Amino acid sequence: MSVIETVLIYGVIPLAVFVLLAAATLLPGRGQDQTTYRPGQPWDREPVWFEPHPDTPGVPGHGDGHGDAHPAPGLGATAAALTIGEHPHAPEPPRRSAAGGARGTW
Amino acid sequence: MSQQLATGHTSTQDTANSVVDDSNRGLFSFRDLARVDEALTMSSRETGLRFTLYLGDLGSDTRGTAEDLHLRSGGDTSNAVLVAISPGQRVLEIVTGAAAARRLPDRACALAVLSMTSRLGSGDLVGAIVNGLRQLSDSAGHPSRRSH
Repeated sequence: MSVIETVLIYGVIPLAVFVLLAAATLLPGRGQDQTTYRPGQPWDREPVWFEPHPDTPGVPGHGDGHGDAHPAPGLGATAAALTIGEHPHAPEPPRRSAAGGARGTW
Repeated sequence: MSQQLATGHTSTQDTANSVVDDSNRGLFSFRDLARVDEALTMSSRETGLRFTLYLGDLGSDTRGTAEDLHLRSGGDTSNAVLVAISPGQRVLEIVTGAAAARRLPDRACALAVLSMTSRLGSGDLVGAIVNGLRQLSDSAGHPSRRSH
């Protein structure tokens, strides 16, 4: 066995197998890491507030909204913002609406 | 429902027309966004409570900020449940309104917080949100049939 054959069999072939496995392992996961959160990372994104769909039956309606883009179908702006039994010119909302809850850290 | 599930989409009839705000692109992938959206909508629909999810900084007084957000959450705040997550501060706050607190006692909220923080500690943000909402809606149960 010549020197070149030895290098090819014992050097190049294992290297090729290694590169092939590395590519098969690393390549499919690229581009999916953007949304993962890791504890300890700073969170520098804009605050975002998710809410349920307002036009779903069974979901209680919401008030004047907070920067979201849910047009109320078929109703005017004033009518959409008021739920049944709510006065159009409520003098002042209650100072505190929270009655309970829980808190946790991780 | 079974027909819609058979097509492979995660959205149901109630979550089909999603309003996606483009200002926060990349926060969640579309698949994750659909899961969060469905969890919020379905838990609100099942319980009759209004679940909202806030994801962002809560300031130094996290409880005060969360309660302030709950006050401004719109609609009937008595029926509203706010899940506020501040990943940067590693704080999770659940705020319930007066009517919601009767069906979701603090104990049930604490259980949901516990399961959510264990997932958040391993970095599973979407899983924590989805499972926390599921646990909260399971605890609250269905609304009592009352005449409006």
